[in-house]
Amino acid sequence: MTLFVALAFALILAVPGPAPAQPKDVVIGVIYPMSGPAAQAGIDNKPVFEIAAEIANGTTDLPFPFYQRLKGMPGLKGARVRLIFADHQGKPDVGQAEVERMFTQEKVHAVVCCWHSNVTAAASQAAERMGMPFFNAESSSPGLTARGFQWFFRSSPHDGHFTQVMFDFFRDFQAKRGVKLRTLGLTYEDTTFGADSGKVEKELAARYGYEVVLDLQYRARATSLQSEVQRLKAANPDVWMPTSYQTDAILFVRTSRELDYNPKMIMAQNAGHISSDFVKEVGREAEGTLTRAPFSTDLIDRRPVAKALNAIYAKRAGKDLYDFPARAFTGMMTLLDAINRAGATDPEAIRRALVATNIPGDQLIMTWDGVKFDATGQNTGVKGIILQMQGGKYHTVYPFDAATRDVLYPIPQWKDRK
Amino acid sequence: MKRAVLLLLFLAALAFPVVFTLPFPRHVMIMIFLYGALAVAWNILAGYCGQISLGHAVFFGIGAYTSTLLVAKGQLTPWLGMAAGAALAVLVSQLIGYPVFRLRGHYFAIATIAVGEIVQTLVINWDWAGGARGLFVPIKRPDSVVNFQFHQSKAVYYYIALGLLLLALAVTRWLERSRHGYYFRAIREDQDAAASLGVHVAREKHRAIAVSAALTALGGTFYAQYVFFIDPESVFPLSLSILICLIAVLGGVGTLWGPVLGAAVLVPLSEGTRVWLGGTGKALDLLIYGGLIMVIATLQPAGLMGLARRFRRAP
Amino acid sequence: MGCVYALIAAGLSLIFGLMEVVNFAHGEFLMLAMYVAFFAWALARLDPLVSLPLAALALAALGWATYHGLIRRVLGGPMLAQIFATFGLAVFLRSGAQFLWGVDFRTIKEPLLSGRLSVGGVFVGLPQLAASVLALGAFLGLYLFLSRSETGLALQATAQDRQAAALMGIDTDRMFALGWAIGSACVGVAGGLLAMFFYIFPEVGGAFALLAYVTVALGGFGNVPATLAAGVIVGLTEVVAGLVITPAMKYAVVFLLYLAVVLWRPQGLFGRF
Repeated sequence: MTLFVALAFALILAVPGPAPAQPKDVVIGVIYPMSGPAAQAGIDNKPVFEIAAEIANGTTDLPFPFYQRLKGMPGLKGARVRLIFADHQGKPDVGQAEVERMFTQEKVHAVVCCWHSNVTAAASQAAERMGMPFFNAESSSPGLTARGFQWFFRSSPHDGHFTQVMFDFFRDFQAKRGVKLRTLGLTYEDTTFGADSGKVEKELAARYGYEVVLDLQYRARATSLQSEVQRLKAANPDVWMPTSYQTDAILFVRTSRELDYNPKMIMAQNAGHISSDFVKEVGREAEGTLTRAPFSTDLIDRRPVAKALNAIYAKRAGKDLYDFPARAFTGMMTLLDAINRAGATDPEAIRRALVATNIPGDQLIMTWDGVKFDATGQNTGVKGIILQMQGGKYHTVYPFDAATRDVLYPIPQWKDRK
Repeated sequence: MKRAVLLLLFLAALAFPVVFTLPFPRHVMIMIFLYGALAVAWNILAGYCGQISLGHAVFFGIGAYTSTLLVAKGQLTPWLGMAAGAALAVLVSQLIGYPVFRLRGHYFAIATIAVGEIVQTLVINWDWAGGARGLFVPIKRPDSVVNFQFHQSKAVYYYIALGLLLLALAVTRWLERSRHGYYFRAIREDQDAAASLGVHVAREKHRAIAVSAALTALGGTFYAQYVFFIDPESVFPLSLSILICLIAVLGGVGTLWGPVLGAAVLVPLSEGTRVWLGGTGKALDLLIYGGLIMVIATLQPAGLMGLARRFRRAP
Repeated sequence: MGCVYALIAAGLSLIFGLMEVVNFAHGEFLMLAMYVAFFAWALARLDPLVSLPLAALALAALGWATYHGLIRRVLGGPMLAQIFATFGLAVFLRSGAQFLWGVDFRTIKEPLLSGRLSVGGVFVGLPQLAASVLALGAFLGLYLFLSRSETGLALQATAQDRQAAALMGIDTDRMFALGWAIGSACVGVAGGLLAMFFYIFPEVGGAFALLAYVTVALGGFGNVPATLAAGVIVGLTEVVAGLVITPAMKYAVVFLLYLAVVLWRPQGLFGRF
């Protein structure tokens, strides 16, 4: 028995990875879901993080001034950037323990974490407690930046921003096309992400005078969504607004087809509806689906920065850049830029540099106004766009001046499609 | 001899935070104690009384939610919340016990899964308690024993977790020797025979689940105060119920030290493989973990305690 | 859906009835069957309907191998060791699938059957309908096999009394292996049918397995026809609860129903003790 206990201890002590960092290294902990239902987000993001580190190390070239300036991290006299990846399995307590382990044992200078809103919520508390920089590139729960944290920074828009864009779109679209949108049907999944999204959508619907005719929270990763779709069909709202991760998003499309549910307009809350699997597997069947997004694949050709990055990414990942890796890349570059400007790797210097961040929009792969943090750590330069699935691919349809396609409305009925 | 080993282990456990000052080894130890305590609590019902529950996350979640709600909405110290959570868990366990204890074997196990899923669904849809969004434990500074919050160092958490484990062990030890312990084992071996000998089967089962539930709820409160964020996905999941059961089975059910031993092996094993291989995105860590579980189950079905016993007998 | 749930559960029920082992890797078996159907489609352009026998055979082989490699070794051990072993197998298979095929979601595009039928204003997807009919067919086959053929009767005899069956000259070891093979083949068929309209990824099995456990217990362990009835009840309850109460609660209602039933009949609807 003692033997086993001894063995177990040997395991914990033997595991902690490589030797402590060289003083000249910049070490960043990257904690994402690498196993479990959302593993794809972590796995698709890994190459883009590595590209970001290589840009800073000068081994990969992105020929635009902002990225050129970072080459070789001149602020730290040529320090090398090293990334340490870890898996949090989608569990808040694991995420929190990983953050602590990263800072104390791997001696990282900052962490980029977590994708899942609930993991981010728990893990960022550990960093806040330790007074270490915590960078978040995609969790969209609005509450995360409402906690008065000093060490928490989020480069991505939250559900409030995103949902605002949807309602702006409704207003402008009605004016432009002269149609009436009165009633909304909301379906959202039952974890932090869905609950927050549903809440914001209801608030904005009330503020702008839309009637919510169906307000439906459903069990995530259901084995069947028949009754949910039947309810939608019965309520028949002018706009169906789903919030789902990819499993349910795919099943919703399949089920609507089977049950012949024909919404005139679908306005989705990103996540599942924009994942590469969704596009690849049910893209054609999901014709006409609108989604909010901070990034669009069809903008790659219009933005030289994005095009150059995509050329590198597609070669490594075997797929085009899409929303998750695009946001991850933007987040990581923002952090690297701050560390470079800080000229030091101590936490307070990094934090002050992050606060002073000001990246112009034209240097980003996103269509944002730039990156600039307010007192809560939220990027204020964010701007959402609306995409629509047309011919199996997402195209930008709003804001109208940046659109590459016109809005398809109403969505063709199932019986009229071949 | 045995006593000397135990004393040595206890002293080593006390000295551990002094030697290891990094949070991660301490975290692993805290998790060993926490899961060890949960498995010991589960063992009271399953190991001694023979009622294999796969719904213990219900009691864990009740502990976590009760104390957190009382802190967040009532400004009550988590220590009182801990007691309230345990009391509520006992109450709920009696309610659950009424239908499920009429079932036997696999029917009982599956009924407890069903109870677990129902409770999780209810909490997800309970807006006042945060619903699916979960709850934050309001952070209060500076560290204080009253607030059950220690931000500077994990040492205090470490000792509280150790205390929980010792409490669970002491209760088990006491039960083992009391007449209830004998009743429990009689029910496990043959319920009908026990009843015919005059054991009040239903009442004894209710006793076992009450003790087990209370101890599990204490662990839940500890988790909430340790992680500072709870949501239904993290404190009510079926996977937690199964994990508790796995730890106890690995160590050896129906023994005092088995669950502790199981936690001491399984927790470092899963943390270790995750840290070592988890970043690859290939799920190699879980592959090894699953493989090892199968190997242990086939080679040593009585758990590690069986192995230890064989060692002792061999020389 | 009910018929498919029932078919998944039937395999579980058969194995349990035979040797009182609950296979906690059942959901993972289902996942593997779906991958078989997917790869048959992706590599050889075989529609899931055509590749059904393939999925059934592959899974039967897996079941047989599981029995010989794992279950036989823990059969003598306590119930908990069996739970433990199959749970390890579940984790192993799930992460193995992620290791080999990654976490991308896959679906089978343009299956032979698609579209829907309208029956009195209620729409039913054609793939689901076909799945139900085929699941019923598979059920009938299973039932006939168990109750009519010599091997089937030998299986039942083994289920009732292992020692007596052995005395009668039945090779119980072979029967157990056969039971695992047939039970897994049921999941193979169910997986092939599901692949027609469900997405496929390494974690897909969990939710189905959970319902399968409840279905088996609802019908009564080891009683194959009862499993069919229970499966239909579970499927109907899920839809009706979703429509009448609220979808958020639909699984809770299914579980509640189970609890209510076992309160009244502790051995399941049609179970024997």
